[in-house]
Order: sequence, then C-alpha cells, then structure tokens
Amino acid sequence: MIQLIASLLLRAAVVLTGAALATFALLWHAPGDPALAIAIARYQAVVPAEVVDQVRTEAGLDAHFWTAFQAWVGPLLVGDFGQSSVTGRNVWPELVTMISYTLPLALAGLIIGLLTSVPLAYVATRRPGGWLDRCAVALASIGAAIPAYWLGLLLILLFAVQLGWLPAMGTRTPAHIILPALTLGLGVAASLTRILRSGILEARGQPFLPAFRRRGVANRDIERDHVAPHAAIPVVTVFGLELAFLLEGVVMVEVIFARPGLGSFLVSAIEARDFPKVQAVVVLTAVLFVTVNLLIDLIYRALDPRIGERDA
Amino acid sequence: MLTVDHVSVRRGTTVTLQDISLSLGPNRTLAVVGESGAGKSTLIAAILGLVPCSSGQVTWDNAPVRRCRPALVMQEPRSAFNPRMSLRRAVMEPLVAQGMVADPDRLNALCHGLEIAPDLLDRRPTEVSIGQAQRMGILRALIAKPPLVLFDEPLSALDAVTQKHTARLIAQMQHEEGFASLIVTHDLGYAAAFADDIAVLRAGRVEELTRSQSFVQAPQTAYGRMLRDAAFTLGALEQVA
Amino acid sequence: MTITATGLCAIRSGRTILHPTNVDIRPGERVGLVGASGSGKSTLGHALIDRLRAQGQRVAHVPQSPDEALDPLRSMAFHWREAEHALNLSPDPTRRQDLFAALHIEGSDLNKRPWGWSRGMQQRFVIAMALIGTPDLLVMDEPTSALDSVVAAGTMDLLDAYLSDRKTALLLITHDLGLAARRVNRLMVMEDGRIVEDAPTEQFLLAPVTQAAKSLCAHRNWLELPC
Repeated sequence: MIQLIASLLLRAAVVLTGAALATFALLWHAPGDPALAIAIARYQAVVPAEVVDQVRTEAGLDAHFWTAFQAWVGPLLVGDFGQSSVTGRNVWPELVTMISYTLPLALAGLIIGLLTSVPLAYVATRRPGGWLDRCAVALASIGAAIPAYWLGLLLILLFAVQLGWLPAMGTRTPAHIILPALTLGLGVAASLTRILRSGILEARGQPFLPAFRRRGVANRDIERDHVAPHAAIPVVTVFGLELAFLLEGVVMVEVIFARPGLGSFLVSAIEARDFPKVQAVVVLTAVLFVTVNLLIDLIYRALDPRIGERDA
Repeated sequence: MLTVDHVSVRRGTTVTLQDISLSLGPNRTLAVVGESGAGKSTLIAAILGLVPCSSGQVTWDNAPVRRCRPALVMQEPRSAFNPRMSLRRAVMEPLVAQGMVADPDRLNALCHGLEIAPDLLDRRPTEVSIGQAQRMGILRALIAKPPLVLFDEPLSALDAVTQKHTARLIAQMQHEEGFASLIVTHDLGYAAAFADDIAVLRAGRVEELTRSQSFVQAPQTAYGRMLRDAAFTLGALEQVA
Repeated sequence: MTITATGLCAIRSGRTILHPTNVDIRPGERVGLVGASGSGKSTLGHALIDRLRAQGQRVAHVPQSPDEALDPLRSMAFHWREAEHALNLSPDPTRRQDLFAALHIEGSDLNKRPWGWSRGMQQRFVIAMALIGTPDLLVMDEPTSALDSVVAAGTMDLLDAYLSDRKTALLLITHDLGLAARRVNRLMVMEDGRIVEDAPTEQFLLAPVTQAAKSLCAHRNWLELPC
C-alpha cells in the first residue's frame, strides 16, 4: 500500500513539473511584447519605450529562459507565488479571495449535476429503450452539445430578462449564484447522465445477477448492493475528465455573469500578460487535477481491488 | 517428427514450463492432460513459437517448427472465426496465406470426411451449431495438409454426444491424412480412448509420460492416480476391471 | 414434501424453447436431467426454480460456474449474510461452520472477495450458500464443467455425503450421461424443449426407448463407442 501511494505520488510530481514547465514555456514564447502589455496595464496609458524597458528589467523578462524559470519555480517550491507584474502585490492573498468565489460556484454546479443526472439515469434505465429513456438520452445529447456560454445567455434571457425571477450579474446576494450554477450544473448533468445510464445498463447485464434473484435476494437489495457499485466504477473513472469540463465551464460562466473568481482573474491576467498570476492559476489547477486523480485512483482501487492486483 | 527438447518458458520470474521433452511422429497422437494452470496452453504456444523458449528448442524434422506450417484447432469454435466472413472464405484462408491454389476436390473430400454438408460453407459462423462450427475449425486446420496439427481443448465446448462424434471424425481424418496430432485436454476419457501416449503436465513439468492404456490401468505417479480416480468418479472413465 | 410443478413452459423471441412440462420429484430423490446442448435443460431448470419459489417451496440453485454466482466486488461474508437475509434467517455462525465443515471449506478468508479464493473453494462456497435454508430441492447446472476434475470429483463426493441423510432432493442438469448416471437414481432426457424419457437410472441404461436416450447411452463411455 505504501509502495502504491509512493508510486502514485511520484507520478503526480512528474505531471506537476511537466505542467509548470509547459505553462512557463508557452507564456515565455507567446508572440507580442509582454513588457509592453504589462506597462500598459500598469499605467493605463500609452507609455514611452524607456518605461517599457524598465518594466522588462523589473519583471525579469530580459533574463535567459532557464534563469527566469528558476527565479519563478524556486520560491514556488516553498509556497511563494510571487508578486503581480502589474500591481506588485502578492499573488497568493488575491488568489485565495478568488477561490472563495469560485469554489462555491463549482461545488454548486457539481451538486446540481449529480442531483439531476442520478435520478434521470435511474428513471431512464428502468425501461431501456422506452420513451423515458429516449427522452433522457435526447436531453443528455442536447445538453452535451450546447456550449456553456450559449446556455448561460439563454438562461439569462429567460429567467432574468423575460421572467425577472432571478438576478444575472454580479455576486451581491446568494440568489446570484443560481443562474451560473445552473449553467455549469446542466452541462455536467448531461455528460454524467450518459455515463451513468450506460454504467447502470452494463451493471444490470452482469452474468451473476440472475443467480442472486434465484437466491431470493430482493430486487431493491440487488440494485443497491450489486448494480450500484458496478455502475459507479465508470463514473469514478471519468470524474477527472468531468472536473476539467467543470473548470473550463467556470472560466466561461464567470465572464458571462460578471462574477469575480478564478476564471475572470485568469482572463484579465492573460490580457495584461501578468505572468505570475497566470502561472499561479495554472499551477493551482494542475495541483487540483493531480490531487483529484490521485484520489480517484485510490477510490477506484477501494471499489474494485482487482485493478490493483492487475498492476502488481 | 516433432521434437520438444528440454524446453523451458519463463515469464518474468515465474516459470510456466520447465524442462519439457516430448516427441511425436506422423500418424501418432499425444494427449497432454493436466489441470488449469499446469502450462498446457503455454506448451502449445511454445510449440507454435508464439512465446519464446528461455531454453531448449522445438523442431520438426530438425528444422524450426514454423517451416512445417503446423495447424491449430481452438477451443471455442465460434470465436475462432471472423463472424463477418463466410465459412467458405474462412476455411480457405490458410491456402491464401500460404499462396496456394484452392483445390475443389480436396475441399469436397474434407467436407465428406468431416460430415459437413457443402451448403453449410456459405453460412456465417453464427448460423451453424457449435458442433458444426468446430468441424469447420478442423476443416480449416487440415485444408493445407499440415504434417502437424495441434488441438487446444477441441471438445470442451461441445456436449457429450457431439464430443464423441467429433473425436471419431478427428481420428478418421488422421488415419487418412497421416498428420501428427497433439491434443491438449482435461478429459482423461478422451485421452485414454484416442491417444497413443499421455503426458501428464503439472505446474509446468511433465509428471508422467506413458502409453495411454497403461496409464488408465496403472498410473506411475501419485498425481497421475489422483487424476485417473477423479475421472472415474466423474464418470469420464469406466472402471477397469 | 413432494415437489410438483405443472405446465412449465418458456417462449423466447417467438420460439417455444420449452413445451408445457410437468415435473415431480420426491423428497431426497436424485434426478438427472440430461440432453444435448440447446435441448432446453437449463431453461427447464430455471422455470422450475421460479415456479417452486412462487409456490412457496424452498429451492436453491447452483449455476455452472462461480462467476455466475458471486459478485466480484463483494466479500464472501457479504454474500453469506445476504443469502441468510434473503431466507429471513438470522445470522448463525454454527450453521455456517457446519456447512463449511461438511464441504471442507477451509483456509480461506471470508473477508476476501471471490477472486481471492480458488475456484474450487468458490464453487463449494456457492453450494454451501445454496444449502443454508435446507432447501426441498437443489438444482445444479453442470456443476463440474468449470472445475478441474480432481476438485470437481471431491466436491461431488462431499455433496453426496452431505445429502445422503437429508430430505433435500437433487436435480442434476448435465450434458454428460456418464456423470449423471453415477450420481442419480432417476434420469430424464430432454430433446427440443420436451422431456422425452423419464426412467430409473438402471432401467434407462439397460433399455433406453427414445432415439435421444439411445444416442446418449451409446455415447456414454469413451472406451466403447458405437460404430
């Protein structure tokens, strides 16, 4: 077990290093002059060339790639995300504030997704091929095909503009989270429903189930104790992908609904070429990803220990 | 003549075959019996060159076995065929693969010998019974006149009556064609009735190698006796008085 | 209690695979149900189980392979508890120990999942689980074909010994007359979804009547094949 966790952690470390290096290289080699972008963002005006050069030196942009990379990664290893190139303030406190906006939104989206998809998939699979099932599949396909920004605009038009039931922009009241969370959640629900549906159908086809019925085990117990765990395995498997989908959605949704948060933070940082901020978000996301995938690996092995056996 | 000369197969640290030596001449039948995990399937793979021998060698008339183009009959007749291909095309594939010309007379003779109605050839593997499908598998194995045919549990997917019917057809074909036949089976009754020799495989070693009649009457090893007694108990063999 | 089921039948996708059939089995009787593959043996077995359960009789089933009887994600202990619960029995360690002793189930950890056990032990566990409620009838579908012969022979002998002084009747479904003839005192032959012959074992082997029975008898033994 210790060996297993060690190997998983090693894998995580490799992924994190790769992600850090790749982001830095991408930003470093992006076309355009970053110093100019930073200077414009800092002074909110057209700036003379010597000011741009000064910014370049300050931000360490005139250094060699590897020197700059080390200057960034070194403090990062002890948890220092550095200072914003634009404002000069520490990135970390700002990042924490943004997380406090984004995390509830993402969680709400996830919960809406689960609360919609689990009953929908369950109802749909009661009679596979029946009209309920077909409706669910159609809904899920449409849901997966609609991009978050369009769905968000539709929801704003309907609930905020036409009906006037819900607020659309900003974060003033708790009600402000409903529409963005719904936008996120419906997207999650669409893909989860499809995975759950096929998972349940496949679990119901397991060759040992008829024997359990002949043994006199109640249908409800079979569903709970044997079908559900088998159906959960594919869901756990794709949960990492689902998370990627969620983060991508968060960026869109925060911009559409004019909410502060990691998404809008990232977008404005990219516009200003504020390297430390962009990198902070990317590293944070990478850490989140690696952690979630690590957990998924462990949960997966707890659900079906045969997976661990096969690896050994 | 097939010669398996001190063959061992290792996968990583586990030894799946250890120091196996066998020989098998034309028109002879050797049954390899043993429980699951004893290395029966690995032996077939090693003879066909599908797994490398870590020591020793397998030859046919002092040349690599592959040169004699041995044929294989598999356990699950239906999954041994491409379900989208007609049986006629499927059984002709060995000829195509070896760049040989199809000989209608030979196909007819084999169909006759294996009691296959010629119109079955135009069906697909799922449209014939399991017994018929297995006879097609034998037909495909024999079409290119191989001097050596390997049978991997050829009867275990069939029911008792079909098993005996198929076993008799295999023996008749061998009598006509003269191939050497190596049969991997867990059924001692089949081995005793149709093989000249029986090799008992256990944990990758040959535990016992004897004439089949003397094995049924008096196995030389304790393990051989256990296998024989189990076959009696299950009704696969009749008690020898 | 004599086991009686009448008018069992089964139709799959428009084809009758089991014609209306009656089955009577006396307490403690051993009956073999033999026939070629596709003759409807297993279908009759399943129909009989469902009917008897509906009639409130105690019937247990042992499928061909342990893979068809055990959930790979659940521990053996879970399976056992669930089987007790299904029969409305309270957990009883003594009952389990008695059954395990009778079938020589030993040295295996109940907290492991099925694949942590050898296949032979899995099959014995499934049989022990079937015997929990001392059923009126035990239906076994090809009980030996998924096991190695030494293990299979041992399992059948242990089961024979366990059933010898009990009222539980046995229905042994197999394509292999050689196996059935050694274990049962009455044989039923199926062909094309019908029971075509039903006779005491000795009489059956001496004088089979129908073509299907004659063919089974003639092919019973590897050493004396008909020509």
